[in-house]
Amino acid sequence: MLEINNLHARINDGREILKGVDLAVKAGEVHAIMGPNGSGKSTLAGVLSGKPGYEVTEGQVLYCGRDLLAMAADERARDGVFLAFQYPVEIPGVNNMYFLRAALNAARKQRGESAMDAGQFLKAVRAKLKLLEIGEDLLQRGVNVGFSGGEKKRNEIFQMAMLEPRLAILDETDSGLDIDALQTVARGINALRGPERAIVMITHYQRLLDHVVPDRVHVLSGGRIVKSGGKELALELEQTGYGAYGDAA
Amino acid sequence: MSALAEIQPYIEAFKARAQAGEPDWLWHRREGAMQRFAELGFPTRKQEAWRFTDLRPLQRVAFPPAIAVAQATTDDIALWRFKGETYRIVLVDGAFVPALSAIDDLPTGAWLASTAQTLREWPELLDPAVRETDTVGAQPFAALNAALFTDGFVLALQPGVALDRTIEVIHLGRAANRSSQLRNVILLGPNSRATVIESYAGTGAYWTNAVGVIGVGAGAALRHVKLQDEDTAAIHLGQHRVDLGCNARYESFTLSLGGRLARNETHLKLDGEGAACGLFGATLLRGEQEGTIATVVDHAAPGCTTREYFKSVADDRAHGVFLGTIGVRPQAQKTDANQLSKNLLLSRRAAVDTKPELEILADDVKCSHGATVGDLDETALFYLESRGITVAEARRILIEAFAAEVIERLEDDADLRAHLGRHVARWLAAGDSR
Repeated sequence: MLEINNLHARINDGREILKGVDLAVKAGEVHAIMGPNGSGKSTLAGVLSGKPGYEVTEGQVLYCGRDLLAMAADERARDGVFLAFQYPVEIPGVNNMYFLRAALNAARKQRGESAMDAGQFLKAVRAKLKLLEIGEDLLQRGVNVGFSGGEKKRNEIFQMAMLEPRLAILDETDSGLDIDALQTVARGINALRGPERAIVMITHYQRLLDHVVPDRVHVLSGGRIVKSGGKELALELEQTGYGAYGDAA
Repeated sequence: MSALAEIQPYIEAFKARAQAGEPDWLWHRREGAMQRFAELGFPTRKQEAWRFTDLRPLQRVAFPPAIAVAQATTDDIALWRFKGETYRIVLVDGAFVPALSAIDDLPTGAWLASTAQTLREWPELLDPAVRETDTVGAQPFAALNAALFTDGFVLALQPGVALDRTIEVIHLGRAANRSSQLRNVILLGPNSRATVIESYAGTGAYWTNAVGVIGVGAGAALRHVKLQDEDTAAIHLGQHRVDLGCNARYESFTLSLGGRLARNETHLKLDGEGAACGLFGATLLRGEQEGTIATVVDHAAPGCTTREYFKSVADDRAHGVFLGTIGVRPQAQKTDANQLSKNLLLSRRAAVDTKPELEILADDVKCSHGATVGDLDETALFYLESRGITVAEARRILIEAFAAEVIERLEDDADLRAHLGRHVARWLAAGDSR
């Protein structure tokens, strides 16, 4: 589903952050990308989702056989790529419910389906809210406005559950969560695992992986994948730290 | 045109005017006002209040008062109608149109009529509302209006009268290169209350010059909405001159969408202890539009409150201006005033000038002001795009939210908020279809 070949990218100030990333993720798989601070994790998430501020200088990314980097951010999203933000953005004045419906209908339109009516929409919303233990009142507020850190992260996974992407990239979704919130978020992610869907979890720590057990674990360091393995690699990192991969963090 | 040449057509128009049964006192005031206008002439950019305003569209051609009354139908006003049952005054080219209006079954103690009818039947009511020397705020157009006004609306409530319906006033400009000189009056007796929505719209290159004189008596409350939705070829100069008594409440919202050149002024005096005003508004500009909000708030009594919040959005080559002055006189202790101007620039060629000012002569006051100018939040845009929403739609959503945030200030009137929201959405949709 996702094939990254020799990806090089730099940020606006000219610094090269990704220096030849190779990665292949098949449908149905859950991959974890771990790495120390500054290894390029967030840059990788940004480049895959089409966030402005990055320039790809070499390499390619194929998504379901298509050139992902040639697609605009909104086009990628409508085609099934989802990014759970490390820092979800607050948008005052834009009602959460309205926003979600606009997003959902944009994807449906792309697929040639009719827009969801209010009744259908509400029914779908209620089921997913329950899964993520989000109060219905949060939906009447501005997008992420006045949400706690945990609520913001749960809202990301809630959006993912609503939008049902083919490829989900979760950027540090576990950061800033207490253990209860972590479990809720993990339950939400696990509920979305399926043979048609690929999930890439980007994380600094191993603890999310106790709850969402990955099929593959990769270590990103210095802008490259330096080691890949099964779920046991995460445990090993927890023991040894990233020191062996060029960072003491 | 030279300074003399540009005012000449208005002097001629006044000379051609007959007293037409108006009382002598009014006629004398009209003469005095015309003389005053002739002395002052058009404002120039050397005057601080007009420094940012390009008046050339008004000076290049003359706009003598409209004479012929254009025909209008219910369809023509449908877009600006407020939902539900209202008392309604409709004017076209500065003249009252009875067939489109609805001013029957007013409660006892309420007067709502055209200005022309009021002059015929109750001229004394207008005595305080027409002043030949009323040019506060470097406003010669108030004098011109006093000399030439043809019609408008008058609302007067006896003490304690509370209107159960909203009053809507719709003015349509139709006659090219003609002006509508409107004199509107709202006088609320003590402890009365009303909601008034004025809407200005039309087709073509006309000029609307509207002066509203408003008095809110002790303990009375007026909610006053103005929708400036003139043709983008038209010119709109409008001013409200407001006087508040003890514990009076005045809340206004100005939504300014139209006009090639538009200026909405409020000159407000807090004249009685404990009075409070809330002045809110949003100006949306695109193309070559030029839009100004000017407010002059005068705290002349102790313990009064001002809340002021204006927003503007400027796209393309549009130019927005906010001029806000709050003055606190020495006797106006315990004044609580704040003022905020937030502006959004959508294009590199758009511009905004914002000038908030406080002049405080009392020592025990709480006053603040602020202004921001920025563009759309890139991180918010990307967040929306990352959820599949197109760039154009994401921009539309964020602009709508920007305007909605100030409309929210009309806290306890959901119908009014929805009404204004619809017009904002219509403005945004008109941009998409360009």
